[in-house]
Amino acid sequence: MRAEARFFKSLADETRLKILWLLSGVAELCVCDVIDVLGITQSKASRHLRYLYHLGWVTDRRDGVWMNYRLSIAPGSSGEKLLKLLEEMVASQPEAQALRGNLQRCLAAKQHSKCAQGPNAGQKRSPGRLPGS
Amino acid sequence: MKTEAQLFKSLADETRLKILWLLMAREELCVCDIMGVLSITQSKASRHLRYLYHLGWVTDRRAGVWMNYRLSVAPGSPEAKQLKLLADILGSRPEAQALKDRLEQRLAAKGQSQDRAASEGAAACQCS
Repeated sequence: MRAEARFFKSLADETRLKILWLLSGVAELCVCDVIDVLGITQSKASRHLRYLYHLGWVTDRRDGVWMNYRLSIAPGSSGEKLLKLLEEMVASQPEAQALRGNLQRCLAAKQHSKCAQGPNAGQKRSPGRLPGS
Repeated sequence: MKTEAQLFKSLADETRLKILWLLMAREELCVCDIMGVLSITQSKASRHLRYLYHLGWVTDRRAGVWMNYRLSVAPGSPEAKQLKLLADILGSRPEAQALKDRLEQRLAAKGQSQDRAASEGAAACQCS
């Protein structure tokens, strides 16, 4: 049952919870978006994203110097159910809505940014597995 | 969103997760039952139970020298939904089933059924 505890631990950290909340609202996010919206350092953002990557929550795609992440959750899996629960819990909160609003502004302003997504998608790496997925 | 992270943290520990799983099986459990079934020390069991108590997952009831705990989760609350998800996930795990079997064996050996525990209300724990 250690795997299940680790599974719930994915959401037991405020930063990871916010990252998953942001990812569930868009197709893909650059690490730089996470940095801007949450106001955290690159090292903190990347550390939590790698944590989520190794647990199978997200897949990565390199684009130049930046990594992009997207949710990788099988329909009907425990991960999907947990994420749905998270959304139910936070969707009505001003703090969560403000984060999504900031993200939209960040993405809208991004056309001019150096980390704008290019067409040169890197190769995908195989994700880990969530329990029950 | 710190509150939500804290709520998920309740289930982010293997021992707490097992305790919640056991509490879902019975109306009320004595600390000694949890110690016995999970093979952990009294101090570890009590520490995690107090953690769950302070976050509102359980209520306590003293019976002699032992504390008894029961789930105190409002239907439809985020906690209830987390427990349901936990039950969904663990339902198919042999390890989780084995824990429930151990609990049943232990309680049967104590001569304690759920009905009896409920009807006697403040019955003292017999494990001392």
